[in-house]
Amino acid sequence: MAEALTIRTRSGFGLATITARKGVAAGAIGQALGLVAPAGPVWTAAEGVMLLGTGPGVWLAHAETVSPFWGDGLRQRLAGLAAVSDQSGACVVLRLSGAGARIALRRGASIDLDPAAFRPDAVVVTAIAHIGVTFWQVDAVPTYDIAVPRSFIGSFHHWLDVTAAAIRLPVPASGEA
Amino acid sequence: MSRLAEGGLIDRTKPLRFSFDGRHYTGFAGDTLASALIANGIRLVGRSFKYHRPRGILSAGSEEPNALVTLRKGDRAEPDSRATTIELFDGLAATSQNRWPSLDFDMMAVNQIAAPLFVAGFYYKTFMWPAKFWEKLYEPLIRRAAGLGALSTLPDPDSYDREHGFCDLLVIGGGPAGLAAALTAGRAGARVILVDEDRIFGGRLLGERYEVDGVAGVDWTNAAVAELASLANVRLLLRTTVFGIYDGREYGAIERVADHLPQPAPGQPRQRFWKIIARRAILASGAIERPLVFGGNDRPGVMLASAVSTYVNRYAAAPGRRAVVFTASDSGWTTAADLMTADIQVAAVIDSRPDGGVSASRLPHDVETFSGAVVVDAHGAPLRGVDIRAADGRIRRIEADLLAMAGGWTPAIGLGANLGSRPVWSESIQGFLIDVAPPGLQPAGAAAGTFSLGAALADGVAKAVSALADLGFAVSAPGRYEASDEPSGVTPLWHVGGSRTKAFVDFQHDVTDTDIALAAREGFVSIEHLKRYTTLGMATDQGKTSQLNGHALLAAATGKSIAEAGTVLSRPPYGPVAIGAFAGHHRGAGFRPERRTPAHDWAASQGASFIEAGLWKRARWFARPGERDWQETVNREVTTTRGTAGICDVSTLGKIEIEGPDAALLLDRLYINTISTLPVGRVRYGVMLREDGLVMDDGTVTRLAEDRFFLTTTTANAATVMQHIDHARQVIWPELDVQAVSVSEQWASFSVAGPEARRLAQRLLPDFDLANSAFPFMAAVETVWQTLPARLFRVSYSGELAYEIAVRADHGEVLARALHTVGQEFGATLYGIEALGVMRIEKGHPGGGELNGQTTAADLGMGRMMSRKKDFIGQVMAARPGLTAPDRPCLVGLRPVDPRQRLCAGAHLLPGGAAAVAANDQGHVTSAAFSPTLGHSIALALLAHGAERHGERIVVHDPVRGPDIEAEICSPVFVDPEGIRVHG
Amino acid sequence: MRIPCPFCGDRDAREFVYRGDAAPRRPTADDEFHDYVYLRANPAGAMRELWYHAQGCRSWIVVTRDTRTHEIFGAELAKDAAR
Repeated sequence: MAEALTIRTRSGFGLATITARKGVAAGAIGQALGLVAPAGPVWTAAEGVMLLGTGPGVWLAHAETVSPFWGDGLRQRLAGLAAVSDQSGACVVLRLSGAGARIALRRGASIDLDPAAFRPDAVVVTAIAHIGVTFWQVDAVPTYDIAVPRSFIGSFHHWLDVTAAAIRLPVPASGEA
Repeated sequence: MSRLAEGGLIDRTKPLRFSFDGRHYTGFAGDTLASALIANGIRLVGRSFKYHRPRGILSAGSEEPNALVTLRKGDRAEPDSRATTIELFDGLAATSQNRWPSLDFDMMAVNQIAAPLFVAGFYYKTFMWPAKFWEKLYEPLIRRAAGLGALSTLPDPDSYDREHGFCDLLVIGGGPAGLAAALTAGRAGARVILVDEDRIFGGRLLGERYEVDGVAGVDWTNAAVAELASLANVRLLLRTTVFGIYDGREYGAIERVADHLPQPAPGQPRQRFWKIIARRAILASGAIERPLVFGGNDRPGVMLASAVSTYVNRYAAAPGRRAVVFTASDSGWTTAADLMTADIQVAAVIDSRPDGGVSASRLPHDVETFSGAVVVDAHGAPLRGVDIRAADGRIRRIEADLLAMAGGWTPAIGLGANLGSRPVWSESIQGFLIDVAPPGLQPAGAAAGTFSLGAALADGVAKAVSALADLGFAVSAPGRYEASDEPSGVTPLWHVGGSRTKAFVDFQHDVTDTDIALAAREGFVSIEHLKRYTTLGMATDQGKTSQLNGHALLAAATGKSIAEAGTVLSRPPYGPVAIGAFAGHHRGAGFRPERRTPAHDWAASQGASFIEAGLWKRARWFARPGERDWQETVNREVTTTRGTAGICDVSTLGKIEIEGPDAALLLDRLYINTISTLPVGRVRYGVMLREDGLVMDDGTVTRLAEDRFFLTTTTANAATVMQHIDHARQVIWPELDVQAVSVSEQWASFSVAGPEARRLAQRLLPDFDLANSAFPFMAAVETVWQTLPARLFRVSYSGELAYEIAVRADHGEVLARALHTVGQEFGATLYGIEALGVMRIEKGHPGGGELNGQTTAADLGMGRMMSRKKDFIGQVMAARPGLTAPDRPCLVGLRPVDPRQRLCAGAHLLPGGAAAVAANDQGHVTSAAFSPTLGHSIALALLAHGAERHGERIVVHDPVRGPDIEAEICSPVFVDPEGIRVHG
Repeated sequence: MRIPCPFCGDRDAREFVYRGDAAPRRPTADDEFHDYVYLRANPAGAMRELWYHAQGCRSWIVVTRDTRTHEIFGAELAKDAAR
């Protein structure tokens, strides 16, 4: 049956890649930023900043609202601990919410999103429609944020719009559990 | 009408109109096209592949070889659709295939007279004849005469979706064994996906009259499905075919989302392609009944006995009025009983087994039975009668319009061989079984050779219990089912013999018993050779009904046992899959993703034409009203840039940040030249080699801080270079403390080039000192534009005084507008990559034509950049004799001696007067352009001994596009060779 | 096919780029470079090979795979792999 799916484009956020220097553990990075830096593909958050584990010793820092020079500030706080590259302009972040959000991502990504297998704090770096994306679950509605490289956003919407239309159809179709 | 008065799983309150070959009929919801045709008394459905023999409906499932039709019309027409799997919908239109002018009267049926042309190996044999005969005579003849349906050739109007499934247990097939397995696993809490290709679950229970636990099989099925549907951990997929098993416990499946509808709803995909990852799987795909091989066994009215039972029991459709049952197994007797129960006359039961008659006691009425007897020939199209040979050898004719044949059951294990394990012969079931199953998969029920209902149910439970135990699930009380079982013995009869007419083995490819005998005589004694030589099992049905009979006949013809002869492997797909389903969203405009720069839409509004560069769309040029052609536009863009100023979007370049205490050391190892000596705030051009010594890419390196660098790569190699750097720092030198990340998407960059570039850039950055003394050529700075972080580089690709300015990508369009607004005051032009290319050729910079994976740094005139004081990737191999040979083609410029002539990339270089043969080839043109600066065509080329030959003349030979042109070899730098402008 | 990325978990093989045998080590002696660049063993059986998780965590990983059956026995980050 038709499943609810809302899609909106987020704005005003900051994104930055943090890569630990050799031998620097997640703990030291987290301490410098005032939260627990995850060691695996999950996220943690404190005071408006999220740290998303995107690789071994690599995180994507995400903040709701930032100044344009947020990246420089991060670099200073992590001096000697990590490399920092501002990516605030690199991605369009879409927020997908509703029961249909899980179906849409499942159709796009070869990732097990069933609540039995998918941690609510999981971070996924993968490909949807041949486009490299990063997504994470925001709440249990479920709501997901998905970061799409800016140059690909038109093609991503081509996939998402067609997929969302099928999910919203008021016709019964098997496989939409 | 042949519809029975009552019974069947059809909804008589929902009549559906449909047409076949233009005639209109009515069926009911729940019918297939095949059952509706039978219920309307239609017996002739198609013509065969080679001989155009009239064919009817053989089976009631996806194994159907005969009843192929073209479903729907126009752009939705789908040829070779199996009438036995098409769900009837209102308005369905189907047409028969491979007949002319009509199904009833087919001119091509004369092929039967020309049968010798079509014997085993006819494709190969006709190739033996003179080639001109083949092309002019036989191929057209065979092409017209033999074939199945025709494609619509129109674009597919439907869309196709993709889905991913993950489960603990995948159950393939929702018959008794599959349902029992799914119930067992579902109750244990495992994540289960149950797949069936039918519109409802039940499998053989739907076509038989057995009971389970004291209730009708259909009722038991309904209760089981209701329970499964109530479990959140179970997903039920109907109308879905698992078509292949792949490495890593991956299963491919096609869900027919809307094929049972007249057409998909707007936005609804027609089909959905599933990739299912299953930790364990149970193959409960059942078994397929075998035909018997006797003369005329392909005639309309000759059907598989199980199909007869299915049409009678499930669809309440009578396939005939007077039936003969020909059986080598007990299941034929079940069909006889089904027919009698439906008040269809059974003229005789012919059991090939000498003791077969004992089963007659199970029939509701008396019937003439023959033990140790066979049907030797069937007559009529549709069927009118059969000749039987009784145990005493006497031939007798029995009138009948329906012959139900039961040759025994073949486990449907095609999927089990997908990963390359050959099935093995089982004496006990007289069939092939899976030997080494794909990892995690077990066959169950009839697919495992467990044919009786009660045993199949128990096997489904047992296999699920074993899979669950592997996964750590506890099963407290596995289900036990009581079934009204009947014996299912078989004594295979692979070949009747003594027939006067053609006896078919492979119905769809018209392979007969004599074809197999001929192939064996001609030496094709391997089962794989037999398959290819006779094409047995190579039609769209992949030999589901024919394979085993054919292999048994070959074994007999070569004096081997079936176990010795073996069987073939089956590859995916198990059934036909639409190409569109594999393509999914990726066709037309969505064929592959497209990348657009931040200022793309604005550039379009400025008149940009775009060209594909890898995945990118790049502005090619910005035509203005009144310009006659692209050449005029590009000439203006070049001339304006060199004379005044030009603005170009260079955001597509790859951009990488490298940080860490060992960043400079890593860069020294990545580039042929030394980077560690680069001062902060300066840019250096660099070249990277592959480890084999050939050039991989070129670009710039900027030192932003002592331990922080910013690299650019070519647009084409951005991903390759990132991968290369990660390989260097993670695999080759993991001891280095260096971090690397792509920032290609973060920065929108624009080049401002030309004599007015400084004044133009100064207007944008009024507080920043752009004077040569403060910001010289190859300087760089992190700065602020408006309120945003910005980066400014004094680099030049055009050879002009130039700056590259970059801001966050989401502000790229704002920057483009600002540059353009200021630029207009100076008379600046926007320019695209065509003008960019002209200017780089004028400057002799290597581009895609020169960075072709076959050139060394020395070939490109950069041999002296290679440092001898440090180790770098490619250094050792670049010193190989082959890569340092003096006669290697190296970069030169070319100008036509006659300036009106045009040089073209790809043309080859020959000494004057030499013949245009490969032995005289001395190089080729890698890039060419019309230079508006010089007023004539120019080119870059790779030429043997090129560096020593400036001033010589050479012939530019282009056999495709034009006459030979005489050109003068010159320096590759055509404009401002002293480099005065860039430093200006 | 699925590749068990040590960081991301099991992933579709299409997210990865294949490089080949993980055994060759970049030599220091010039005369060993030819073998390093061009010569590869072609074992039938278990083989340690390099894959790059290009559309994932961007790690180079060493996957142990049976070249006959495609069975994968495990994977580790290349930078951690025994050297």
